[in-house]
Amino acid sequence: MLLILPLTGALVSLLNPRQRLTGLIGAVLAGAEFVLCLEISRECLTRHVPAYGSGAFLRADALSAVIALIVSGVAWISIWFGVEYMNHARSAGHIDDSGIRRYYVLTHLFVFTMLLAVTANNVGVMWVATEATTIATALLIGLQHSKSSLEASWKYILIGSVGIALAFIGTVLGYFNFFEHVGATDFALNWTVLSQVAPKLNGDVLRLCFVFILIGYGTKAGLAPMYTWLPDAHSEAPAPISSMMSGSLLVVALYSILRWKVVVDARLGGAYSSRMMVVIGAFSVAVAALLLIRQASYKRMLAYSSVEHVGLMCLGFGLGAGGAFAALLHMLGHAAAKSLMFLLSGSILAKYRSTRISSVRNLIGIMPWSGCLFFIGGLALLGMPPFSLFLSEFMILLAGFRSRQPWLMGFILMLLLVIFVSVLGYLNRILHGKPPENVAVGDLNRGGLLALSLNVAALVTVGLMYPPPLVQLLRQAAEIVQR
Amino acid sequence: MSLDLFMRLNTLACSLVLLMGIAILWRNSLPAYIDSFARQSMFFVMGILTVAVYTRAWELYLVAFMVFALKVVFIPRLLHRARKQVGADIEIRPFVNTPASVLLAGILTLLAYAVAQPIVALSDLPTRGSIPLAFAVIFVGLFITASRRSALTQIVGFLVMENGIALLAVLATYGVPLIVELGVFLDVLLGFLVMQVFLYRIRGTFGTIDVDGMRKLRH
Repeated sequence: MLLILPLTGALVSLLNPRQRLTGLIGAVLAGAEFVLCLEISRECLTRHVPAYGSGAFLRADALSAVIALIVSGVAWISIWFGVEYMNHARSAGHIDDSGIRRYYVLTHLFVFTMLLAVTANNVGVMWVATEATTIATALLIGLQHSKSSLEASWKYILIGSVGIALAFIGTVLGYFNFFEHVGATDFALNWTVLSQVAPKLNGDVLRLCFVFILIGYGTKAGLAPMYTWLPDAHSEAPAPISSMMSGSLLVVALYSILRWKVVVDARLGGAYSSRMMVVIGAFSVAVAALLLIRQASYKRMLAYSSVEHVGLMCLGFGLGAGGAFAALLHMLGHAAAKSLMFLLSGSILAKYRSTRISSVRNLIGIMPWSGCLFFIGGLALLGMPPFSLFLSEFMILLAGFRSRQPWLMGFILMLLLVIFVSVLGYLNRILHGKPPENVAVGDLNRGGLLALSLNVAALVTVGLMYPPPLVQLLRQAAEIVQR
Repeated sequence: MSLDLFMRLNTLACSLVLLMGIAILWRNSLPAYIDSFARQSMFFVMGILTVAVYTRAWELYLVAFMVFALKVVFIPRLLHRARKQVGADIEIRPFVNTPASVLLAGILTLLAYAVAQPIVALSDLPTRGSIPLAFAVIFVGLFITASRRSALTQIVGFLVMENGIALLAVLATYGVPLIVELGVFLDVLLGFLVMQVFLYRIRGTFGTIDVDGMRKLRH
């Protein structure tokens, strides 16, 4: 039922010529999707797993529920913010009516494919949905036909499709393994079935399978060294799309890796997959830290920050049960903070008409509310208390120490420090300084700012009050990932 | 169909699929690339048909038909049209030159045999001998995408890779469940159409489909 909503949204956007109304309907639908995800989470908390369709075609356990929450939450905020943002873009002449219509249709389709990917029981369907997200987002990145956005979307669709193809090889190998031992059955690719049969599967083929899965889906998740499309794509896409991609798409890709991890671990034990995830995660953080040192564009800075955080999440998932819990918490916090930052970057671009950090000065003076939120979001991304990212990063490090990897954690801490210094420097330059000429004072998109305050509220609430229902849900999800 | 005949025909079809893939590396005209891809897809369809006849699985006939319609007829036709509209005919100065490319293709095939080893060991299907060939096609497709300058050739390389993966699915498991097969078919179709859209846009914006011209975004 959850999936009908974004489809309706896409249909409405396609048929309705009145832009304002389409946008509002879209925002309302997105809000409804979020509420539905909350409902699903509540059901999971009572230990009842909602399923639908023959052979549980759609199935939402705690892990799906958490990711679905993230997807729908980010989508709601982004679409809400996007209504005014797109109107402004249209009046400024950046985009025409047909472009706006395409934006709305594709955005709803994008949400649909992401939700399908996390609720599908069949890993093949999960794959199909993930590839569909690549197609939808590639069109969205190239929405404004500029040279750089075209380059970004071409790179994205090529690298993304190649990565997804590799993930499909992994999927085929997994199915092959199953096929050899059990024979062709209808629900063979349901991951519930796969994980049950897993202990009987062949270890070598499963190892190979996981390599392809990790590299393939890891390409979509933005892990190093397959992240090269990410800075271009996330910085060239319109702000609401960047926020959805950074906040939820990367997480959905990680989710796909996690589903396979469960299957592989059932046969090989946790050590093999964990070791690989720790290495790739740490490597991603390192690459991000190095490349963040010299950034000229604030959107690219945010994009590299996404690489860093996804690396941290991947690292966390490789560090045992505590790490998995921390990584899930981190997914939530990052989604809130990153979507906040990317949406604000849209406002900044609209106001200052430049993507360079050097051109943006005195944000606090020129857009007081936006500047304030930007500062808060930046602190949250750096892992400062009282935001939830502080908690999750701390817990990841703790899990690392518990897994007897003190040197690695020390290395990560050092990288985090490097990132801290770099990003704080950029924040400082953006927020303060002499205001540039011919930039009007005043916040843009007041309605959108209201949405963003929800993000901040979420970050603070989770960080300070650590709400028990959420913790319980995360704990259940972590249990699924790491037995 | 006897087992022996099946194995021979199947191996022949798969070898031809790989050969067509490598053919792309030693020719340097774009019409030749598209035609090689079309021929490769044709041999792939024949491979699927041999399996379909041997296993008497009706789904594979459907899959063979879909692959034929999509990859032998529809996509090459659209590619040729795009090529004529974009006006690109020769792949000039690819990133890796022709002799090196063919040599690398040989090395990639050896690599494919190494990678496929545990899979071949586990499988007891009569098609298992050709599994390394499928992997070789995948690697060659990847290589084409990475080493060529023209955006259109990159698309062809991606399609070759998809052929290889689909071939692997047919050889290793006699095809994946039908719903996944349909989904993959849709994805490849949509993905290709979107890439085509971008191809036209690139030509319109940059005046050329040489991807080396798109280097504005750097770090």
